[in-house]
Amino acid sequence: MKPQPLALKALSVISVLLFLSALGMVFFYAPLEITMNYVQKIFYFHIANAWVGMLGFIAAAVAGVLYLVKHDQKWDIVGLAAVEISLVFFLIAIISGSIWARPTWGAYWTWEPRLTTAAILEMVYIAYLLLRQGIDDPDRRARFSAVYTLIGSISVPITFMSIRLFRTIHPVVIGTNSSASTGSFDMTSKMLVTMFFALFSFSVIFITLFWHRIRQGQLAQQVEQLKLEELQ
Amino acid sequence: MHNEIHTAEHKPTSNFLSAVGAVVWKDLAAELRSRELLSAMLVFALLVILIFNFALELDPQTRRVATPGILWATFAFAGTLGLNRSMAVEKDRGCLDGLLLAPVDRSAIYFGKTISNLAFMLIVEVIVLPVYSVLYNTNLFNPGLIVVILLGSVGYVAVGTLLSSMAVQTRTRDVMLPILLFPVVIPILIAAVKASSGFLQGLALPEVMPYINLLIVYDVIFTAAAYMVFDYVVEE
Amino acid sequence: MLEYSISIKYMLAGYGVILTVLALYIISLFTRWRSLKRDLQTLNEFQKKQ
Repeated sequence: MKPQPLALKALSVISVLLFLSALGMVFFYAPLEITMNYVQKIFYFHIANAWVGMLGFIAAAVAGVLYLVKHDQKWDIVGLAAVEISLVFFLIAIISGSIWARPTWGAYWTWEPRLTTAAILEMVYIAYLLLRQGIDDPDRRARFSAVYTLIGSISVPITFMSIRLFRTIHPVVIGTNSSASTGSFDMTSKMLVTMFFALFSFSVIFITLFWHRIRQGQLAQQVEQLKLEELQ
Repeated sequence: MHNEIHTAEHKPTSNFLSAVGAVVWKDLAAELRSRELLSAMLVFALLVILIFNFALELDPQTRRVATPGILWATFAFAGTLGLNRSMAVEKDRGCLDGLLLAPVDRSAIYFGKTISNLAFMLIVEVIVLPVYSVLYNTNLFNPGLIVVILLGSVGYVAVGTLLSSMAVQTRTRDVMLPILLFPVVIPILIAAVKASSGFLQGLALPEVMPYINLLIVYDVIFTAAAYMVFDYVVEE
Repeated sequence: MLEYSISIKYMLAGYGVILTVLALYIISLFTRWRSLKRDLQTLNEFQKKQ
């Protein structure tokens, strides 16, 4: 394994700095929201985590297609890295969203389309990891993984649409207000700046983690190949 | 390999169709002899209904709301049982390898297996529906419901056949199929349950139509996707 | 309007979870990397012996 390239080292340092600045901006720069006050601050990192999860989802789908077209093990490693990162960040988004929902909507969980779709996406990705665990042959594992990511990438948007269809016909009502209206708020320009800064920071963090995870995948591939050679 | 294919393809379409037909015929004939798949699916389906009966205390009031959900949960569970078994048999008897050696397009195998799986699922549904109607004194003979069941089963089997041919090739093949299949067929279950309950409650067609459209879209997209990627799943 | 004391508690819980899960993931990346390195080393030594 080659030593870490300088660019990756620099990116790691920049990511840490960006993360700390984003955290600082959330607590010291962004103003307090009127009705929800402190708890609204979860919003900035909640949305940034969901954004990274989304990036990972797209990257996984692209890597899956590229693997099926090119048959190069490299794309399998990229796909696994994307799925894993997406899994972790969507998990954070779901939990932080639930904690925010408790005081604003009165319940940790609502069967709201985005929330439910994120949870189903997590199930797809867990199934993906279990599938990989069940296959020893690296080539077959890569093929099946790519096929399953592809099927998941098509089904998840359809799932979102079908839940939304179901919810618009039967709106969810919590207490006296609908969930769509409670918890929405007008953003001041300082809030917008904080949100975009958090989104930018997490995009850089995504790239850094993705790169690290791909390198780890390459190392794992090397180890696996050596093990297979030993067995023969 | 390529030469073989070309010599065999005098009439590509009829060759393709006869290959699909051969796979379907083989499955149906084997099932007619043993009846092991259908009997297992049926008994399982009835047991699921029995469990729901005690789990939900199905008095007439609850029944009206819960029937579509119970039906689709039953079909989904019995469906995975059938899909898994039908592919595992293929794998264990080496039929799959034999089929793969035959000079036909591999998607013919996919369509053949899909059609026979669909046939098994529909047979189970055709038996479960009247039994459920009798047990719960509910009239389920509704043309709309039949269309929904047909569309839902097509989509379920289209994805299920692809994923079950993957699942049987893994080490954990007994448990893999439902884990892979359920998260990606959720749109079918949502749309089918909603459309079924719409028809059973006698809603106007425009109110049910969005769900029917969703089912059709899902069926078309996933049949096409599975057809395109099936080669990668059986490649050796 | 939400009471400040309640709101602060949920905010801290939220950021606590975000930071913890992120930290756990980065730690797991580190430990997996280290164990892979170790595996690689053992495998290389094993090959040299043969």
